[in-house]
Amino acid sequence: MGELLKIRGLCAGAGDKPILHDVDLTVGAGETHVLMGPNGAGKSTLGQVIMGDPEYTVTAGSIGLAGEDITEKAVDYRSRAGLFMSFQAPVEVPGVPLNSFLRAIVAQHEELKLKGKRYKKRVAEIMQQLDMDEKYLNRELNVGFSGGEKKKVEMLQLLLLQPKLAILDETDSGLDVDALAIVSRAISMYRESCDGSLIIITHQKRLLEHFDVDRTHIMVNGRLVETGDASLVDDINENGFERFIKAAPAASAPAESEGDSAPAHFDVAAALEHMEEALAAADAAALKDTGHPLDALSADQKPGA
Amino acid sequence: MGDWVEKNTVLEGANAMPAPTWHYLKMNDVSIEVPASLRVEPAVATAVSEQAVAPAGTFEYSLAMLQSWWDARWPSRVPISGAGADDAEAAYGGTAQSAYQRNADALEASQSLEAAFATGVGADAAGLLAQAAGDPIVIASDEGQNVRATVTVLGVADAFSSAAIDVVAGMNSTVNLDIVVDSPEAPENAAGFTGTTVRVLAGFGAKVNIRRMQTLDAGFDDIDDLGILTTDGARITVSQTVLGGNRTFTGLAADLRGDKSRLDIDLHYLGHGEQAHDFNYVVRHHGRETECDIQANGVLAGKSRKTLRGTIDLIRGCKGAQGNERETVLLVDKGVQNRTVPVILCNEDDVAGNHGATIGHVNAEQLHYLRTRGLSEKQAEALFLESSFDFALGAAPTEQAAAGVDRLARAVLGRSVVLDESEPTEGSR
Repeated sequence: MGELLKIRGLCAGAGDKPILHDVDLTVGAGETHVLMGPNGAGKSTLGQVIMGDPEYTVTAGSIGLAGEDITEKAVDYRSRAGLFMSFQAPVEVPGVPLNSFLRAIVAQHEELKLKGKRYKKRVAEIMQQLDMDEKYLNRELNVGFSGGEKKKVEMLQLLLLQPKLAILDETDSGLDVDALAIVSRAISMYRESCDGSLIIITHQKRLLEHFDVDRTHIMVNGRLVETGDASLVDDINENGFERFIKAAPAASAPAESEGDSAPAHFDVAAALEHMEEALAAADAAALKDTGHPLDALSADQKPGA
Repeated sequence: MGDWVEKNTVLEGANAMPAPTWHYLKMNDVSIEVPASLRVEPAVATAVSEQAVAPAGTFEYSLAMLQSWWDARWPSRVPISGAGADDAEAAYGGTAQSAYQRNADALEASQSLEAAFATGVGADAAGLLAQAAGDPIVIASDEGQNVRATVTVLGVADAFSSAAIDVVAGMNSTVNLDIVVDSPEAPENAAGFTGTTVRVLAGFGAKVNIRRMQTLDAGFDDIDDLGILTTDGARITVSQTVLGGNRTFTGLAADLRGDKSRLDIDLHYLGHGEQAHDFNYVVRHHGRETECDIQANGVLAGKSRKTLRGTIDLIRGCKGAQGNERETVLLVDKGVQNRTVPVILCNEDDVAGNHGATIGHVNAEQLHYLRTRGLSEKQAEALFLESSFDFALGAAPTEQAAAGVDRLARAVLGRSVVLDESEPTEGSR
């Protein structure tokens, strides 16, 4: 299979906080990759950086898509080039009906040739497959939608746009069994309809049960620490991430602050009260490099000050 | 018909807030200029079943009949001050009452429904529109009857075209009134004036649903003047879509007299180019457990301007009443001007008045989401404009209204919003 996504030596961060470190990742056309890791590992950040979220800054390395270096390209360019990202928590957009939105985004992808009746027919087909009422089309985009409905709207877009590579960021989170089955079916349909590639960010195995996984990657502290085949998913499912966390280099700074952020906090009050425990905690967390946990305290906070 | 006026007519104090705010803000009311030498040419088409057409004077007669109902309910009305109207100033040491309070007291003391009945833009505008319209269109429904009526007002070049409409909805009847204001045949760069003045009396348990859609070309000014009085259990819904025109004036005054009567207002507007939209909503809660809900949604682009006044007046005696006003405005361009004056007046306990507003630009999170789907920043903002037309198309009450939306979309967006020329639109199905 040809290389579709080629990431080399990627380092990125938010503000002055480095999050991703020297990430290498290659996804071939038609392949399904799974990205797993503990909370705060940087999985969502990697997805956002690939998509070009301006909140993050690439400090080193490159991102190539189908042979083109897109590292410096704008978000909308990347979308038109064939990248898609399904959001963990899709944003609500009052004032824009779903139908208007879908028409507008389809118009940006001329290769789809979805105009007029063809557009209507295709949307109706997909909505039926996703068990969605067409009345949704007249509702404002994601406004008042349940979590499951929002994920269905994401899948509707995925099937409509048929991107070369889709990054699904915890698409399975918060879904009930029925909704999960529909989303899983949608992902299968996407793969079959256009031989699309996938990077699936997930904590669960359930979503992966309905299709083959080519590669599994484990991310810890912003680094890809392990890559294996589909069996690695089962391994994680049984044994968790502990051995990878222990083996991984510590993050050089607290990781990102969003839902996928690292819990690299050091509790000053606890440190003063339970010095021994705090020393151990600090050793394993962000203050490790500062030498002594109390170095992080201001002079007047130190015992005896 | 001959010329309407020899010189410019200026309607001062139009769309006035009942309780003015700081004068220096210049938001208490608006002046409406009607240019000189406009022909009076009411280009109005009406579609209503014959049995629902009533003679002129039906509204006044019905209002007079309701007076005895109101008098029986409130034998002696207690004014705002808690004393008699004449004693009101004295009760506040002779200086505490504003002009608004004095007038409100006097009105309450008079008990007169006729004196209290008002339309939103104001008496001068209503008079002008009615005079220019000629014979009013009077729609009356008998008990339990279901009536549908459509009134189309066309903008004509160099003309003043208006309609005066009275609705008297009998007990437990339903009246659906669609008003389409459009200028499909006006030549390019044509200018003119349109307007409607509508008076509604909703009988016990009656339902009145009014939809007004305005898709005038850029040279036309428009007045949408509406007054409502409800009796017990009446339900009123008003849906207004303001897409076109140059200067537009929308005023609604409602008097929820009847217990458990309800009013729902749904306004959608789009400002583009150098349009100026002026809105005024005044809802007076007299009846117990009355409810009103005002929802205003707008998009402002280009150098458009908009003022919205929303007054919910919870008058003594309206125990259990609830009034809500909610506004969402998206500011697409930096050159727009948005002004909002929400007012909740309260002279009763055990009531609720709520106001909320979301006003701003497309936020960064929304913009990022739209860009991940291939839209540039400019295209993302244009999407909000296009969506205004899509919403309007979906809400268009008639095929002509839908055609008007599309005509305007072609002018503003440079393209059609109808999905496929060979297919029916949502609104015409």
